[in-house]
Amino acid sequence: MRTRAEARRQRWAILGFAVAILVLSFVVLKSAYYQLVLTQVLLWAVLSLAWNLLSGYSGYFSFGHAAFWGLGAYTVALGMLYFDLTPWISVPFAALVGAVAGAIIGYPTFRLRGHYFALAMLAYPLATLYVFQWLGYQELALPMKREAPLLYMQFEDPRAYVVLALGLVVAALLISLKVENSRFGMALLAIKQNEPAAEAAGINTWRWKMLALMLSGAIAAIAGGLYGVVLLVVTPETVFGMLVSAQALILALFGGVGSLWGPVIGAMLLVPLAEGLNAELGDVLPGIQGVVYGIAIIMIILWAPEGVYWRALDRLSRRSPAPHAPEPAAGTIATPVAANVAPLPRAPAPLGDDLLVLRDVGISFGGLRALDGIDLAIPEGGLYGIIGPNGAGKTTLFNVINGFLAPDPGAITLSGEPITGLRPSQVCRRGVGRTFQVVRAFPRMTVLENVIVGAFVGAPDDAAARQMALAALDRVGLSARSGAIAGGLTTRELRLMELARALVPHPKLMLLDETLAGLAHDDLDGILTVIRQLRADGITVVIIEHTMQAMVKLVDHFTVLDHGRLIASGQPNDVVRDPSVIEAYLGKKWVDRVAVPAK
Amino acid sequence: MNRKLTRRSVTAGLALGALASPGLGIGIARAQTKAVKIAMIAPLSGPWARQGQLLRMGSDMAVDDINSQGGIKALGGAKLEIIYADAGDSTEKAKNAAQRLLSDHPDLVGGSGAWLSSFTLAVTEVTERAQLPWLTLSYSDAITNRGFKFVFQTSPTADWQASETLPTAIKLAEAATGKRPKTIGIIQDNTASPVSFGKQLREGGGLDKVGLKPVVDQIFTPPLSDATPLVDKVRSGKPDFLLLLTSAMPDCKLVLEKLDEFKLSKGKVPLVGNGAPFGSPELLKTIGPELLEGLLFSVANWPMKGQEEFIERFKKRTGEPFLTQDGLCGYGDVAILKEALELAGAADKLKVAEAIRTMNLTTGPAAQSFPGPIKFDDKGRRQDVPMIFAQWQKGMPVTVFPTELALAKPFWPSV
Repeated sequence: MRTRAEARRQRWAILGFAVAILVLSFVVLKSAYYQLVLTQVLLWAVLSLAWNLLSGYSGYFSFGHAAFWGLGAYTVALGMLYFDLTPWISVPFAALVGAVAGAIIGYPTFRLRGHYFALAMLAYPLATLYVFQWLGYQELALPMKREAPLLYMQFEDPRAYVVLALGLVVAALLISLKVENSRFGMALLAIKQNEPAAEAAGINTWRWKMLALMLSGAIAAIAGGLYGVVLLVVTPETVFGMLVSAQALILALFGGVGSLWGPVIGAMLLVPLAEGLNAELGDVLPGIQGVVYGIAIIMIILWAPEGVYWRALDRLSRRSPAPHAPEPAAGTIATPVAANVAPLPRAPAPLGDDLLVLRDVGISFGGLRALDGIDLAIPEGGLYGIIGPNGAGKTTLFNVINGFLAPDPGAITLSGEPITGLRPSQVCRRGVGRTFQVVRAFPRMTVLENVIVGAFVGAPDDAAARQMALAALDRVGLSARSGAIAGGLTTRELRLMELARALVPHPKLMLLDETLAGLAHDDLDGILTVIRQLRADGITVVIIEHTMQAMVKLVDHFTVLDHGRLIASGQPNDVVRDPSVIEAYLGKKWVDRVAVPAK
Repeated sequence: MNRKLTRRSVTAGLALGALASPGLGIGIARAQTKAVKIAMIAPLSGPWARQGQLLRMGSDMAVDDINSQGGIKALGGAKLEIIYADAGDSTEKAKNAAQRLLSDHPDLVGGSGAWLSSFTLAVTEVTERAQLPWLTLSYSDAITNRGFKFVFQTSPTADWQASETLPTAIKLAEAATGKRPKTIGIIQDNTASPVSFGKQLREGGGLDKVGLKPVVDQIFTPPLSDATPLVDKVRSGKPDFLLLLTSAMPDCKLVLEKLDEFKLSKGKVPLVGNGAPFGSPELLKTIGPELLEGLLFSVANWPMKGQEEFIERFKKRTGEPFLTQDGLCGYGDVAILKEALELAGAADKLKVAEAIRTMNLTTGPAAQSFPGPIKFDDKGRRQDVPMIFAQWQKGMPVTVFPTELALAKPFWPSV
């Protein structure tokens, strides 16, 4: 999330861009041809910005933005031909068509991820192309209105189209900026970097993805509508064709994917390049323009694989290194925790009613019964450990509780309310936080931003979310690192950051998945202190571990899982002596050896 | 009044200055030999590049002919210069090409192009606003349905071709066999021109008018992967003849080969097509003369009687196996512009446009390049144009109808 000052700077930059384009159009460029090309540059920039809004921010690559572009163009063409509808009405209306199309497309397609999503998106414009051919709209020419040209957006002066297209670019840039600076953008970025973590942090990923696609579809369609007005001829191939979808993607990738200015940079460079090559070489050596264009793109990709924008940014920041906050010494970071290192009295707190209850919970993966007949009641206020050897089903149990997996059969209640089958974000909203075995950070965000993502659940507005996040960081003793990029943290810091993210919406129940794994001995104590503090603050904690040693020191109640079944439950010291537990961990042979002295 | 005058004179002065300033000194000396510029926009790259090249072969030849025969006589023997622009593979590129031509060459007096109807629609939006007379061979009715004043369509429109093709085909069948066909089969794809053709037949009453019953009526989306289901319908429907409206060569090949496989070729089911692609050298190369033998197709323009010497020169110059619509129209459009310049007596686009509107040519290279006289109506369509039919005979597509223009006699393939 950008700071307010940065957002203000960006708005000035957008204004500056608009003025520059106007100067270019009204002062520098004289011929109608250059005005036409400039108009196209701007329209393609809008399409690419629309693409970037979905694919750049959320990481869901769309190969099918031509669907929206084409629907916009056809909305305008059909509106004018059959209803004598002026583009002044039909172009804005195209946005609505695009948004509805986005909803219809997103509903089935967001079940897919990664390459599958991208490929499925490819199908929509191709399918629509055939539909429009079948409907008999092979070639629609917008009629020339000689009586009232202005009423039908038909200007003598080509600069009028530049102004209209520029208006769209500015609007698309402002929308993108607004999205970037809100929880919307944060949610999309979180989805891009780690969708399960985002969902577990309480972000309704499906809703944000749908909103992004609808908004993106609306912007693409409105630009497509204006494209129809400018070109005056609409055919299925030119508006639904593969080249349109590719154009949206190439411009953004070239300019800098996921950045505000990337798509605009891409359009400003590539569209005139292609057209210039057509003009210079098209009649001399027909076809060579495509080859030169391709080579130019390859060269740039070699030089700037992430896009011109990011490359330029890297260059600039290398020349004048941004003032980074000085790294605090290791000692200072640990201070809040170190102060509490003295072992807390092992006081089995007075336990309340059952907070989380699992009844006969099971789940299968193919033929493997990963969980089988689990009955579990976790009382309020406890520090509850779940142990078991690798593959026992511990993480699966967490996944079932927080909604990544739906149990079959089984019922789960939280404070007496059923939560079976809810989405992870909904479970999160009801007060269940969780961390992951492998820390699921958003590596390109700062520590603070990582935690803010978790704060959106409970915060009334973005400012409050920031405050809550800072408080949570303070609680785990990570305040000093709040500005660091998550990708550069140590394991201990990552664990603490994830803990803070889960803590920020004030959960009733915390699910900690092997939070202690992979930590050095010194680091371990710090984390243990934080966990104990959670319990002291009244949060019920359930922690998974497979190393018993640390757990015996920490928890007041043990449950042991093996092969998806509960095999023992009780006080830590009793459980570790249970023969079935020893067998599960060490094999049958050891049961006898351990059992003898016990007799 | 005074103020108005001042403003006008200032504007005029500025305009004059702008016109005169580049090379003022040599402007006068050169005036005598200054070339007259015309333009051609054609797909020179992309999927239609071949057709664009053919068009260009024709227009290049026309420019050479005109210049070697003394240029534009009414303009003191001024040479004709043709400027090409690539329409590429999209309407956007075609429109840009038109806008670019007009910006770079404000002294254009006329032009021709852009082959594909949707390209022509986009290009003429630009040329019409610039009041540049524009000739085109594209078929679509929409081109001259928009009330444009500066667009001239040398081909009969698609709807007219659709309404004339079947009556003419029936006439040919009756003349050859003495029997009037009663049933028809239609196989078409769903691209722009076959769709408008088919619409005229089905919804425009084209079939009813000639009393043909469609026993096979199939529309497919290209590319065709297998023609079996289509041709199977032909086998069971047994139409008196089959109307084939395909726009892509591979689809056409699949249908023809499948007909052969089902023993329906070689006249068992006579074939009628529409459009110049049915007579292209590529079709001959990929399908071969045996399967094509007897295939009839209606077309806007095809080499005719009286052009024998010209056809030979074209073949020699270009190395093409035969002349087709595209080369012929490329030549003809330039010839029309030349005649218009002669009639106008000035290198002025408005006067050239007016000359085209009023011309009525029946002789000379322009008139010889097209069937019927060069005479345009208010919409910019040519009047009194006969429907041309060509037929594949021994590996050559030759004009067989109307009789006075035919290079060979038609035959109705029958068993």
